[in-house]
Amino acid sequence: MADVKATDGWEPKIVAIVCNWCTYAGADLAGISRIQYPPNVRLVRLPCTGRINPFYIMKALQEGADGVLVSGCHPGECHYLSGNYSARRKFSMLKRYLSYVGIEADRAMFTWCSASEGERFAKVIKGVTEKVRELGPAKKLVKTL
Amino acid sequence: MENVEKKLQEEAKKLLADKKVDVVIGYERGTLPLTATPVFITDAGDAEKLVYDATCVQNLAKYAHDIISAHREAQKKVKPEDRKNKVVGVVARGCTTRSLVIQLQERQYDRESIVILGVPCDGYIDPKKFNLALDGEQAAEGSVNGDQIAVKTLAGEKKFALKDVLADNCITCRFNNPVISDVVIGDKAPAKAADKEYEKVDAFEKLSTEERWAYFTKEMSKCIRCYACRNACPSCYCKVCFVEQTMPQFVGTSAEQTDTQIFQLLRTFHMVGRCVDCGSCVSVCPMGVDLRNFLKKLDKDALELFEHRAGASMEDVPPLSTYRENDKEDFIYNP
Repeated sequence: MADVKATDGWEPKIVAIVCNWCTYAGADLAGISRIQYPPNVRLVRLPCTGRINPFYIMKALQEGADGVLVSGCHPGECHYLSGNYSARRKFSMLKRYLSYVGIEADRAMFTWCSASEGERFAKVIKGVTEKVRELGPAKKLVKTL
Repeated sequence: MENVEKKLQEEAKKLLADKKVDVVIGYERGTLPLTATPVFITDAGDAEKLVYDATCVQNLAKYAHDIISAHREAQKKVKPEDRKNKVVGVVARGCTTRSLVIQLQERQYDRESIVILGVPCDGYIDPKKFNLALDGEQAAEGSVNGDQIAVKTLAGEKKFALKDVLADNCITCRFNNPVISDVVIGDKAPAKAADKEYEKVDAFEKLSTEERWAYFTKEMSKCIRCYACRNACPSCYCKVCFVEQTMPQFVGTSAEQTDTQIFQLLRTFHMVGRCVDCGSCVSVCPMGVDLRNFLKKLDKDALELFEHRAGASMEDVPPLSTYRENDKEDFIYNP
């Protein structure tokens, strides 16, 4: 990913780390329903947002992602009952911390999207892509070697 | 503090003589003037070695954990019927007791494995500030008298106030008295300027994103990744640390600056609800990286979001291992 240069043809690359039970199924629904959304996103499917190590987000940014999106089940709807509650605590800290050290807040985004919300999934991806496009190519924390 | 030192020696002697503890972890006089170094006392006769004053820097909870876990490992080779318990006595001021609380909450050992010798604390001398105050001269002798420090250097004598060389974390310390203890030694220490705890973090938050990033990269570019901060930290006790993990490799080991930044980001982020602001990492850092600025932010956020202060009481639950249904959600993106 790191070979993308900030040229005229630059397109944001977004890594979306999503949970298997809600958002991944939501993305599936968006696909089945033929809802259009920007192709800038790469989905990574994990069992649950609670499974996501904050390191994954930092690593994605280091390896050249322009933005990272984390999405899981709405609070109270977790397949594992409380995975997204603990994730929420973790990521509320992480989001504040990353912007504290000086990484633009919109590079790391968090949202909820259930299996029936194909429309919302498309909206989220559109929104995130727009926000990251405004920020331009990531320069901070990106490995150059 | 003279008084505290005497009582501490007596108590340690008694505990060792009565075989209530196998080892007492404390401080002894260092080889350089105005320094103290950790000491492990197993013989009641050696209890006079213990010192306690403003020169005691390191958080001893680290050693308590090390000794107990090493002992537990060693016991695996012993027949079950011959296994012995090891009880460790720890000289603990406020921050040390908080670290012990965290280790206990995280079920690292039983409460019976440690005997806490709680001592009051007026703050310790920051070695870096001390060297600055000496202006490049070498201390040959030194002593602390009340709130004054007298140092003899080759060029002559110097005197300065103790409060000018106290470590930053001590000046705004909220817990300078033990939060738990088995043996209480001395009277309570007077409160510090705890209301100014987050002053620096607040000021840093007001800077622009670019300024904050510039400061972060500047500080992290000093880091030589000696991992002294990790080794000194009482909350860093994983058997295999993520920096050394290779399957999969978490953090790159190259000299590339983002590898260092990621290492520091992640190590500090592991301190959510676990950093007691004891200043051990800052004091051991050979390059003078301003770690406290970043650790304190996590502390502030944990307080704001979860009303949690690390290690403040045994009843608390670590903030990231619990949740509330109405936790703040303002960071969630809603298109």
